[in-house]
Amino acid sequence: MSQTENKAAVKRGRTAIRVRHGTSEIVTTCLLVLLAAVVIVPLVLPFLFVFKTQLEFSYHPWALPKQVNWNNFIEAWKAVRIDQGLFNTLIVSVGAIVATIPPSALAGYITARYRSKFTELAFYVIMVGYFVPAQMVLIPLYKMEVAIKFNDTLYGLFLPMAAFGIPFWTLIYRSFFKGLPNELAEAARIDGAGHSMTFFRIMLPLANPATVLALLLVFIGAWSDYLLSLVLLSSQEKFTMQLRVASFLSAYGAERMPKYASAAIISAAPTVILYIIGHRWIIKGTIAGAVKE
Amino acid sequence: MARCLEKGAGHIILFRGGRYVSDSKGRKRIRDRRRGPFVFLCLLPAFLFLAIFLYYPIEETFRIAMTKSTGMGPETYVGFDNYVKLFSNEEFLTGLLHVFQWAFWSVIIQLPLAFLIAFALTYYRNKLTGPLRSIYYLSNVLPSAITAMIGRFIYAPKSGVISSLANTLGWKWLGAIDWLGDPNLAFWSVFALATWAYTGFPIIYLMARIEQIPNEIREAAELDGATGWHYASRIVIPDLKYPFQILAVLCTVGSLKLFDLPYILTTGGPGNATVTLGITLYRHGFINWNYGLAAAIGVVISLLSLGFTIAQFSLGREKGGESL
Amino acid sequence: MKKRSLFVLSILALGLFSASSLFADKVKLTVWAGDIPDDSPDHAYAKALVAGFQAKYPDIQLDYVGLGNDGFKDKLKVTMASGSGLPDVFQTWGGSVMGGYADAGMLLDLTKELKDVPGSAAAASAVTWKGKIYGVAPFFAVAGLFVNEGIFQANGLKVPATVEGFEKVCDTLKAKGIQPFACGAKDKWPALALYMYMTNRYGGDSSAKASARKLAYDSVAFVKAAQLYQKWVKAGYFGATPLGEGYGDAQQLMFTGKAAMMVTGSWMCANFASADMTDQKIGFYAFPALAKGGVGKATDLMGMTDIGYAASKTGADKKDAVVKFLKYAMSPEACAADPGRICSVPGVKAKNSITAQASAVFGGAKTVTFWWDQDLPPSVTSPLNDTIQTFFLPDTDVKKELSKFEALCVENMGGIKK
Repeated sequence: MSQTENKAAVKRGRTAIRVRHGTSEIVTTCLLVLLAAVVIVPLVLPFLFVFKTQLEFSYHPWALPKQVNWNNFIEAWKAVRIDQGLFNTLIVSVGAIVATIPPSALAGYITARYRSKFTELAFYVIMVGYFVPAQMVLIPLYKMEVAIKFNDTLYGLFLPMAAFGIPFWTLIYRSFFKGLPNELAEAARIDGAGHSMTFFRIMLPLANPATVLALLLVFIGAWSDYLLSLVLLSSQEKFTMQLRVASFLSAYGAERMPKYASAAIISAAPTVILYIIGHRWIIKGTIAGAVKE
Repeated sequence: MARCLEKGAGHIILFRGGRYVSDSKGRKRIRDRRRGPFVFLCLLPAFLFLAIFLYYPIEETFRIAMTKSTGMGPETYVGFDNYVKLFSNEEFLTGLLHVFQWAFWSVIIQLPLAFLIAFALTYYRNKLTGPLRSIYYLSNVLPSAITAMIGRFIYAPKSGVISSLANTLGWKWLGAIDWLGDPNLAFWSVFALATWAYTGFPIIYLMARIEQIPNEIREAAELDGATGWHYASRIVIPDLKYPFQILAVLCTVGSLKLFDLPYILTTGGPGNATVTLGITLYRHGFINWNYGLAAAIGVVISLLSLGFTIAQFSLGREKGGESL
Repeated sequence: MKKRSLFVLSILALGLFSASSLFADKVKLTVWAGDIPDDSPDHAYAKALVAGFQAKYPDIQLDYVGLGNDGFKDKLKVTMASGSGLPDVFQTWGGSVMGGYADAGMLLDLTKELKDVPGSAAAASAVTWKGKIYGVAPFFAVAGLFVNEGIFQANGLKVPATVEGFEKVCDTLKAKGIQPFACGAKDKWPALALYMYMTNRYGGDSSAKASARKLAYDSVAFVKAAQLYQKWVKAGYFGATPLGEGYGDAQQLMFTGKAAMMVTGSWMCANFASADMTDQKIGFYAFPALAKGGVGKATDLMGMTDIGYAASKTGADKKDAVVKFLKYAMSPEACAADPGRICSVPGVKAKNSITAQASAVFGGAKTVTFWWDQDLPPSVTSPLNDTIQTFFLPDTDVKKELSKFEALCVENMGGIKK
């Protein structure tokens, strides 16, 4: 059935084939919707009780709130001090992007396409940064930052963040560059392009999906970072938003769930919104990358 | 500039002072003398960052692992004593077992699941799958403290979602299950939560890679009458060999380092039922003030990760993986 | 030319800047704490402390940073380990953790300045280490028995006067479908208080002897107490799923009357008295003694600092400001803001009836034992709580677990000295 349809479509000269798969498509789509629900429902749960008073929550945690009570949000909002934190968080996030993505893209490109014993070794040396657990590194990192007077500064925060992110994104970029066909590089060289031109004009744009992914995820990661911000920042005017929210969260014992959850929502909301906006961008970027072939 | 006559034709070409060489596979490759500096310059930024911010801490960790110290006071050199202590410590060995279990099951469950979802989302493009693509990563976007909080809501006895649901439905057996308190079940409860949270990244990563496959190939397969399965197994999966390897590495190393979720949910308990190397590290370093021992654990984690990564990528090469 | 004038300008600027700091009259005092000074009733004391101090001493610039308990503890450890960037004053619970910092030379000895500050003896000894005073403890917590008086009245029950009396009470409660004890054993540490009391009732000062290494942790009193604990868990006195219940869950059970009793610290008084948190009537009672065969009395209490502050060596050049802050923290006007903790400062009235009960119990104390997980060396404290948690599993051999713990203590604290 689908074959004749396709052949008919080709005959009609259409380039985009709308393939109908019948039952398998319906079943699969249903499954996907179900799985998506599994992902979303836990995220929605906190909304059931942030609008409740503490007592109402204790008695009926999962019933719908009797009346919508904004107190918890207001208190959490006040404690978070958006005015101070937002600017700091933005600086840290943008700084992390600028410091993480270019080195990772370059290193990923080299280790993917310029294979030699040296670059393989370089790859593993870079990856070692990913193998080390964060808690282990905190104390020496702090000592070192104090020694070079980087502590309690915003650049002293996003530069180590970049150092943590580079191994991971080098790996990802490497996989994307590997997926590009060899002929492209050869063609470029034959056309007389040097190494850097090949990279900037041809290879990098084709690895757009990776770059868009990296932009989004590094930004979100830097935005929601807690451990490094906690250890490396000491002056209140430099605190990031997430640090304040996390402090608010841990200042309230688990018995004050509605307040706790409202702070959690405030902390997660920016990243969720950013992600949803950014993801449409990813889809556009990947489709564009594929069509260029 | 000399131009080539045909793309890929094996003619002699002048190229900025370079010349043709045959590589190990007998293909002709152009060797270019300006390659060296380019390679060096490209790797330099990454190295700089890592050298300044990570290599000193890593080196310190290795050094402290050979000492007995509280992190604040004097250090006494004890050689490999810490490592010996670790391997006879029940909590460490349990943690080791747990992270291996975790890594194994993560790879077995997350990767195929992620692939199936990613493939389905790219294969079936209808009005629903479009918006669905954005949703799967949402759980990954949350900081781990919040993921753990959600886990507590779901698993708490009596007041948690599952218990309340069980009460309303009258399913007493469901409400009686002690998700986080039963030593046999706790590990799986935390694992299920982690799968919910962490599968998002493999999904969008695989989606992005699958999209890199040119449309023509897919259309050609359709015309040849390939079913979805055929297309997946003959074309897509082999193309994704390297991404799968990467995901396996990420899953495994992530499991080795695992700390946040089990610590916040159950502090490694009950007893040692959900303890991981990361938790043991935190305990010894930040609670017991046995900083040398904690550093030794950090070294073990790093070496295990390194070993696994090398093994993973060499395996690929042995099988003649062109993608390597 | 331009470069040179720039150079000169910057030297001048530098000079002016350093000169101005010489003449600065504002001393900057940095305080790190877990409590955030916001509008929540829990944090009323912190808020009053900050606001009141700044009003009273306008020439001291107070930078009070609240980081939440876990974040604060981690950040402090990292900073202590590096030895620099320390705050001038930080929140502490005293005991061996503070002692560890003191031994490493990180703290400021304020024995002279603080020895005459009025306060309870227990509070003062909590912030004293090896004879030197390092800070103040404005609030002191004791563990006791919180009882839902409403449930007890409705069922004709009386608060047990002996440890043996619990069994009958718990059986009645269980039959009525009410969980007798709420504990929070999932988080490990909440189970400690009851165990400390049981050990004391069986063996008197056995824990003091054990930590001084004159007694083993698997000796009679410890084992008997563990066996009783396990018996109670098996009998269902802690509910059907005690290990899945966190401290927050346990509180919720008390708030909603689903559990009738809880053995925990007096910091909970404010929550149990607040109409926002609960509509149950809850009272605070001393934990009873054994009817027969016991050594410890009901006046032997377990407790430790609720809120305390200590000074680090960074404050050495601002000793005056530091001492002013610590003394203000111990002042009646600051302490009056707290809604429910037991205050160590004389002259501060209890804010609610439960705190009044708790203060009365504390006032009648003959001995106070510090929490073991704050008093023993840090290397054995989490294994201690792990060991106690094993009592909640029905097939644990408690003597074996205690012997394992004893072996660990021998390794870290030395063997038994005869």
